[in-house]
Amino acid sequence: MKYFLYWGCSLEGSGANYLVSLKPVLEALEIEFEEIEDWNCCGASLSYVGARDLAIKVLNARNLALAETQGSYDIVVPCSSCYIQMLKVSQEIQEDEGLKTQINECLAEGGRIYRGNLKVRHIMDVLYNDVGPDKIKATVVKPLNGLKIAGYVGCQSVRPYGEYDSVEKPKIQDRLLEALGAEPVPFPKKMRCCGSGLFMSEMDNCMRLVADILEDAISHGAKMISTVCPMCAMNLEVYQERINKAFGTEYDIPIVYLTQLMAVTFGMDLKKEAALDYNIIPPESILKTAVG
Amino acid sequence: MGSYDPSFAKEVFENVDFGDEIKMCMQCGVCAASCPLSLQMDHSPRQIFTLIRAGKREEVLGSQAIMLCTSCYTCEVRCPRKIPVIDVMHGLANYALKHDFVPRKDTANFGGKFWDQIYRIGRIDEKDLSRRYFFAEGIIEGIKGLLGFSDIGLRLFLHKRIKPLPERKIKGIISLRKMLDKAEKMRGRGGASV
Ligand code: SF4
Ligand code: SF4
Repeated sequence: MKYFLYWGCSLEGSGANYLVSLKPVLEALEIEFEEIEDWNCCGASLSYVGARDLAIKVLNARNLALAETQGSYDIVVPCSSCYIQMLKVSQEIQEDEGLKTQINECLAEGGRIYRGNLKVRHIMDVLYNDVGPDKIKATVVKPLNGLKIAGYVGCQSVRPYGEYDSVEKPKIQDRLLEALGAEPVPFPKKMRCCGSGLFMSEMDNCMRLVADILEDAISHGAKMISTVCPMCAMNLEVYQERINKAFGTEYDIPIVYLTQLMAVTFGMDLKKEAALDYNIIPPESILKTAVG
Repeated sequence: MGSYDPSFAKEVFENVDFGDEIKMCMQCGVCAASCPLSLQMDHSPRQIFTLIRAGKREEVLGSQAIMLCTSCYTCEVRCPRKIPVIDVMHGLANYALKHDFVPRKDTANFGGKFWDQIYRIGRIDEKDLSRRYFFAEGIIEGIKGLLGFSDIGLRLFLHKRIKPLPERKIKGIISLRKMLDKAEKMRGRGGASV
């Protein structure tokens, strides 16, 4: 199985533990991947401040055009924001000839064209539907032995299209956690927004959102929260101390990427491959105790 | 609020990206009930759409709400009329900023720097973005801002989550800019050229 991997800007910075753990995990699952040469940012959720809708679409169409020239694999996206931006454009291009023409007129200014042949998919979709929980389970050598984990889904990995999971009651992340031997805990705020790209500039408004999610996961027994989105991971993890100061709480719960958990259970190096030392709230001791 | 003044509604339908979509709104309030930030907003999305119909230009374009949308898509999946609420909110914010309204100062500053960086280098370099964001108000404000954020910045740095290399342009930056310039000049979805 071969794919394009479009990992985006966050995974080279604050979401580095996602990319570091993702690569060896994909290799272990015999997934080949190719980077889209000279890709650009997806625009995430704040570009509207400086650009109109069409420009943001063109930004994403450039990546699709570059990929289409390079090969015909599905594009796999681990960042939820990149995923939704790219998926949106690729779908709208297929449904709307007028928009496709407009976008191609813009791409032509830079000598590019997008014919509309590629599929954009979230990493969860590929892990669940192409690889499958059985194969993942068979790769696990150090199961998590019932460790209680809250699989936090957030927003943009399933909303609005629900391409591969339910938009109201998603279950795929929980099935994958089970394949790793964890016990996924149900918690109502699984799909609630963390504040996304707005957190930094609207901290006072967004801290409450994160506090509610942490509280919900912890009160349902979670020892750790897993995620597949760099914004969720960042907002849930690095602001915990500020939240504690603001609300008088004592949150100290590790936030890990699902791929970090996979690397750990696949028996990989806890630092070099699982990238656990990238986490600010250390998950290492809980995980070591769980795998025994 | 009940009165109907079509001139502002017309302005929105014709000039704001996705502005025409609100014609379909039936005021059911599902979006407001679903929104994680509706309590922090001065007007819920539903109210914004009512205010547009009532011709309240200053209230809408100056409303904090249009820049407090996190793009969570909760309203959008639940709206019975399939209105792309996010696109309308973003469209309104973009239009408001172009017409000298500043609904949320910090987000306008951060988002503006965000897009500038994409236009300048084609990617987002988080360390450089934060520096430009904090220093937008001058040296003193910048140092205060950075110090206020240093607990987080330092920790990210110590945990290898700040890219050590200086920011770098993508190879195709010139052609990307041409594409974006062209797009900004074109008549976009539901909006006139600017
Ligand atoms: S949910 Fe849709 S139809 Fe209902 S008030 Fe909101 S935008 Fe209007
Ligand atoms: S997408 Fe925006 S307006 Fe809609 S529910 Fe989320 S934050 Fe509220």
